[in-house]
Amino acid sequence: MTSTASTAEVTSFTFGEMLSSRTVIGQTLKELGEANDNLWVLTPDIGATLVEFRDAFPDRFVDVGLSEQACVGLAAGLAYEGNIPVVSGMLPFLSMRALEQVRSDICYPNLPVKIVGTHGGLVGNGGSTHYAVEDLGLMTSLVNMTVTSIGDPLMVGEVLRQSMSMTGPLYIRLAVGKKDKVVYEPGSVTVEIGKGITAREGTDLTLFAHGETVSQALEAAEILAAEHGTDARVVDMFTLKPIDADLIQRCAEETGRFVVVEDHLAYGGLASQISDVLVDRGIRLEGFQRLGIPQVFAGFGEDTELRDKHGYGLQATVDAARDVVRGAAG
Amino acid sequence: MTSTIVRPEASVSELEDLSYELREKLLLLCGEYNGSVHIGGDLSCADILTLLYQYGMRVDPQDLRNPERDRFVLSKGHAAVCMYITMAIRGFFDYREIVDTYGQLDSAYGMHPCKVQLPGVEVSTGSLGHGLPLATGMALHARRNGMSHRVFTLMGDGETGEGSVWEAALAANSNNLGNLVAFIDRNRQLMTSFAEERVKLEPYPDKWRAFGWNVIEVDGHDMGALVTAFDSLPEPDSDTPTVIICDTVKGKGVDFMEANLAWHAGSLNETDLKRALASLAHGRKAA
Repeated sequence: MTSTASTAEVTSFTFGEMLSSRTVIGQTLKELGEANDNLWVLTPDIGATLVEFRDAFPDRFVDVGLSEQACVGLAAGLAYEGNIPVVSGMLPFLSMRALEQVRSDICYPNLPVKIVGTHGGLVGNGGSTHYAVEDLGLMTSLVNMTVTSIGDPLMVGEVLRQSMSMTGPLYIRLAVGKKDKVVYEPGSVTVEIGKGITAREGTDLTLFAHGETVSQALEAAEILAAEHGTDARVVDMFTLKPIDADLIQRCAEETGRFVVVEDHLAYGGLASQISDVLVDRGIRLEGFQRLGIPQVFAGFGEDTELRDKHGYGLQATVDAARDVVRGAAG
Repeated sequence: MTSTIVRPEASVSELEDLSYELREKLLLLCGEYNGSVHIGGDLSCADILTLLYQYGMRVDPQDLRNPERDRFVLSKGHAAVCMYITMAIRGFFDYREIVDTYGQLDSAYGMHPCKVQLPGVEVSTGSLGHGLPLATGMALHARRNGMSHRVFTLMGDGETGEGSVWEAALAANSNNLGNLVAFIDRNRQLMTSFAEERVKLEPYPDKWRAFGWNVIEVDGHDMGALVTAFDSLPEPDSDTPTVIICDTVKGKGVDFMEANLAWHAGSLNETDLKRALASLAHGRKAA
């Protein structure tokens, strides 16, 4: 789809460390702004993390204040003029308040606008107004939209870099983006939009995740291996659209059982995308469970507390994996 | 810097003739097309579109992507056919092709303009309240790149009920976009009601002034007044966006359609087409 990049490009951070995706975004946008004189950054009053770009390229920075619809509309207008606009803000508002602008002003004419934002999932403790929990369902429904959800902060920069050559719109979902775990040893994985990343090999089942649940899935896999003798594969399906159907099929053939865990409504997100591939390709699994947010408006609490409460935390992931493996055994 | 694109030379009476031609062609299309046309709002903005395409805007049908061209965003996308025909008169499209294919499968000419299917138009619109943000982004591009063209948009007064219009009004003024000009087709009718009955837009010019815009009020069917208003626009490198509020009549030019809620959209059978064309011709003689 696009050229690939390696995590080796950013070497100052190390595996397992906590790093801010927002910092990576700020640095990457400045770097990309130097290389692309038509790169713009727009924000509806969420600009604190964009200071580096703003200071370096004030003529290509716009803060419209609290006007998400105008922000996306302006970005479309700029894209019509040959620019590459990046809209940065909080996803519950960009994905819903400005949804029609995203759909009709960006996707319909297939403009290269990137939407990158935080608060994907039950993160930030802002309450239900401030959690984007249906955004991936909305965005994957939009014609022409490419949809990603990223956990590893180093990947954010790579996806942004790759997106410079994309001709259509792109959605990049982050969680809080303040302190995220570096999931991959720098240089250890190839990031390519549209291709899932096998974060851990395994043969008994596949744990599919995206965003911050990738590191949770990896943790669950370690527990499954150490305590239950279960060998779980972990796939970071950071691109939800276009979905990597071939990888899903291969995982089905090689492991036979899936658990999908995501910080999104359990229906409408990755699990639904995977289900569609399975049905469309006539693939029958020996076991399948989806873990995600049920049909509730979740309350306050820290992200791990909320995941536990709503049934898609670490323990729930381990339990679901054991269930599908046991179910298969009989 | 001298632009490589020149504005068309046209006198007020020539523009009036072109407006008449536009209305006549609109009615003829309406008679031929076997479906509903937004004829009321087309007729109310016919003079404004004539002013823009046959007088005001520096555009070149032979050079669609010339960076120095003025941009036009049809925010009231349901007046697309009026724009297509205006542009055909200017030499962008073929009128006969518009009539022969309008609204048909795979036609580039449909109810709302699509940039992908019809590259001659600047942007895709249709949903109301989207044009001003788009035009603001385009004007911002021009301003920040030191370009000297203008960006025009045409909105209906009804669509200014959309909050996105006022978000963009704030953004345009906050970014000092004197190169942005919004025409408002103030026909005082929504689809199902007369504007002030359900939505109190007045004091309307004051709303725009309060948002920091330069306000020009004009009779939207008086071509001489429209030309004067256009000629009084501040220079594109000035700092205040301008709104030209055009006092108009929905259905203008056809007596049985004027200010008639039944004619927001419709189609014309043979009898109605004759009546409409006769009314249009009668109005011209009277004037």
